[in-house]
Amino acid sequence: MLTALFHIVIFPGLLFLGVYALFFAFLDRKLYARLQNRVGPPWFQPFADFCKLIGKETIIPEGADRRVFVSLPVFALAAVTAAFIYVPVWSITHPLYSFEGDLIVVLYLLTIPTLCFFLGGWYSTSLYATIGAVRALTQLFSYEVPLFMALLAPAILAGTWSIAGISAYYAAHPLYILINIPAFVVAMVACQGKLERVPFDLPEAETEIVSGTFVEYSGRLLAIFKMAIDCELVVVAALISAIFLPFYAANPCLGFLLFVVKTLIILVLLCLFRASMARVRIEQMVMFCWKILTPLAIIQIIVNLLVRGSLA
Amino acid sequence: MSKNFFEKAVDWGRRKSPWIIHFNAGACNGCDIEVVDALTPRYDVERLGLLQQGTPRHADVLVCTGAVTLQTKDRLKQIYEQMPEPKFVLAVGTCACSGGIFDGCYCVNGGIDSVIPVDAYIPGCAARPEAIIDAVVKLLTALEQSQKATE
Repeated sequence: MLTALFHIVIFPGLLFLGVYALFFAFLDRKLYARLQNRVGPPWFQPFADFCKLIGKETIIPEGADRRVFVSLPVFALAAVTAAFIYVPVWSITHPLYSFEGDLIVVLYLLTIPTLCFFLGGWYSTSLYATIGAVRALTQLFSYEVPLFMALLAPAILAGTWSIAGISAYYAAHPLYILINIPAFVVAMVACQGKLERVPFDLPEAETEIVSGTFVEYSGRLLAIFKMAIDCELVVVAALISAIFLPFYAANPCLGFLLFVVKTLIILVLLCLFRASMARVRIEQMVMFCWKILTPLAIIQIIVNLLVRGSLA
Repeated sequence: MSKNFFEKAVDWGRRKSPWIIHFNAGACNGCDIEVVDALTPRYDVERLGLLQQGTPRHADVLVCTGAVTLQTKDRLKQIYEQMPEPKFVLAVGTCACSGGIFDGCYCVNGGIDSVIPVDAYIPGCAARPEAIIDAVVKLLTALEQSQKATE
């Protein structure tokens, strides 16, 4: 009971995830700044932002449903934290909690924040927020399919639906990773939509619809929402690195170090995407996801099925 | 009364993370271009933790340019009231400080401080980006002093 509570609240749960997410947010911003030939923010910037937002006045719009409006950020953060519990952090042979099918659970838990963004925008009863909310949902229907298929394709080859099982399979057969490279590319591009980052940051597009779904959120609620987004970045990076970069060490300390290195590699790639692209329009985004990413992911699944068939 | 750890952390956060929103109250666009200039990678205000926000709900500092015209008077008030506490106002340019050459014009209400309280004035026609950044730093230093005084 106590150890479970420790895992949920401190490590690798809320506290560790929160601190690591803020550190990630700093690295992301710093790298982005360096790529623009700027100095960038100091290391404590995300911590300062968080502290400031916690201490600010929280305004709830008159037309908004108070209870839903307040609970949505908490729901988003809780879902992301719950998803992180199932992602192996220090060891893939002895994962913390793992069962056959946790990959599906993690993917669905990662969908909840997006739905919270949608509902948050919808309940704000502001025009900008509503547009942002509708965009968030439209986007969800386009990136979710290629993202799911890209993450499930390696699972088909490995013949297991647990994240730790997939990692262990590819660690035992390292050459099979090369087959999954197209799926890796699809997952990296599609998760930009999930994380609402450039080029798919349409729901919050601050230059056209102010800041979309978060327009009416302020103070503490905004801080929790921002935290949920930062944590989602860590969870997605950890998930992708567990499936596509399954290098592991038997020693828990080394394993944890390897986890940090792997997630940092994913972060650098995501940041390069963000820095080198501009925002696309919503219909371009939908077209791209359905016409290019989805067929690529389908081909990957077919290839993996064939490889698995020929191995059997 | 001394402040506890959390209050100190919030105070520190306020000094280190001023998010701004830019509002044109009736400027000739000269100061607006300088404000946008100050936000470019060349001046890199993110060093100070400064970020531009789209909505007043996320902002701490309202950066106003231009003399307040009768048309924008109510809008300026509205934007100011939409910002969550604590909030600060920067008046950028001579017109924003006092009305400038438009003072007394039939359609002009006066400087920014004729409508909402102003925390820092930046003179200049147009105000230079360096002056704007300097004003932000001075605002944060003054904030630190007032925080120390209440400790």
